[in-house]
Order: sequence, then C-alpha cells, then structure tokens
Amino acid sequence: MKLAVFVSDYKITVDTLDRLSAEKMGIIFVGNGVYHASIKENGKPSFLFDKSAHFYALKEDLETRGVDPSGIDSRVKAVTYGDVVDLIMNDYEKLAWL
Amino acid sequence: MADIKLAFIVQRLPYKSENPKLAATHAMAYQTVEILLEDGQTITPALCYIGEGVLNCVKDQKAMDIYGITSTEMHFKSCLLVDMDVYVCKDDLEKFGISEDRIADAEDMGADKKVQIVPFEAIQKVMNTANHLLFF
Repeated sequence: MKLAVFVSDYKITVDTLDRLSAEKMGIIFVGNGVYHASIKENGKPSFLFDKSAHFYALKEDLETRGVDPSGIDSRVKAVTYGDVVDLIMNDYEKLAWL
Repeated sequence: MADIKLAFIVQRLPYKSENPKLAATHAMAYQTVEILLEDGQTITPALCYIGEGVLNCVKDQKAMDIYGITSTEMHFKSCLLVDMDVYVCKDDLEKFGISEDRIADAEDMGADKKVQIVPFEAIQKVMNTANHLLFF
C-alpha cells in the first residue's frame, strides 16, 4: 500500500503512526505538525524521523508560523497546496489524518 | 483600593485553537473594565508564554497573507502596544532551539514596552504575586 499520513499536531499522544506500515509511506506535516520539521526539542529532531518515509511540510503552514521553509530539517521537502494535491493524486493510494 | 494582578499563562501552540489569541484579547480587555471597578481599584495583567506557548511569539508570521486571519504575532504585539508586561520563558525557547532574535517585538508599531525574555523562575514569581492565574 502507498500511504500518505497527514500529521497536524506537534505532540502526538497516540502511537498509531508507530503502528502504521506501508510499502511506501509519505508523512505530510500540516498545521502545527510543521513544528516536527522546524524545531529540535532539547537539540533532538522529531521522533517521527525514525520512520522510513518521505517527509513533506506544507509551506503555507510553515510561513504562517514564522518559519522560513528553507531552514527546515533537510529530510523534509517544503510543498505547496498544489504539490500536496499532486502527491495525493499521483503518489499515494490511501490517506490517513492523524 | 487594591490593585488586582492577573497572570495570563499561554502554554498552547498557535493556530490549532483560538486559545493563545484569547489569552491576549482577554488580557487587553483590562483596559475596558474600568466601569466595573470601584474607585481606586486597578487591574494589572501580565501575559506569560511558557512551554509550547513560546512558539506563539515567533516573528514574521504570515497568517494574514496566507489565510487572511490575524496572526498570533499581532495579538502579542498589541499587548506590548498597550504597555502590558509580556514575558517569554527563556528556558523553553532554548529547549526548542529558538534564538531570542526570532521573537517578535512591537517597535515597528511604536510600542515603548519590550518583551521580557526571562527564566521560568521569573515567570513563577509573576504567578506567585498574581491574584488570579488564567491558563490558556
């Protein structure tokens, strides 16, 4: 399965994402989820980067929060709304919103 | 007559909910409650950002450009503009790797008041001296 997971919170209190596995996984940070891509709590990157996945962060939500998309974690690609639509339509078969 | 000190403590991230903005608007409302006070009675609010709440204070938020909504930054700056004491927890900024130069101020709006980036102990003192604590 090709699964895209939208992560819209910074603190994730459920381990659902840990349990999800897919042949190809994309993690798309939106809303406050973009903090996973932009801050290092106590110097450590988000635990979500332990997942084997492609990472994306919505550029509009980064900029809304005063975060420069060019300064986010190098593993994350900043994408626009249009890019997210393309990912959904072309790259992933299923979607999950956490 | 007594001065009533209110401490508004913001501990939540911006935008997911209206909570952080409400803290600022509630705090600013102190200027409009005079009619409800007795002679000589005053209200002194303080706005404190701790934990994840410090992320509300990052400058250059483009919420108006992108989503057409007032940014949390504007609320934060408006509080400085009305000479409110605004504190940001230095420990939590360090925890999230945010440098102090990324914190907004309201100099561009003509505010004399500066944001106070202080250790948590200083915010604890504000809470200790407050008559009421309001968590957002």
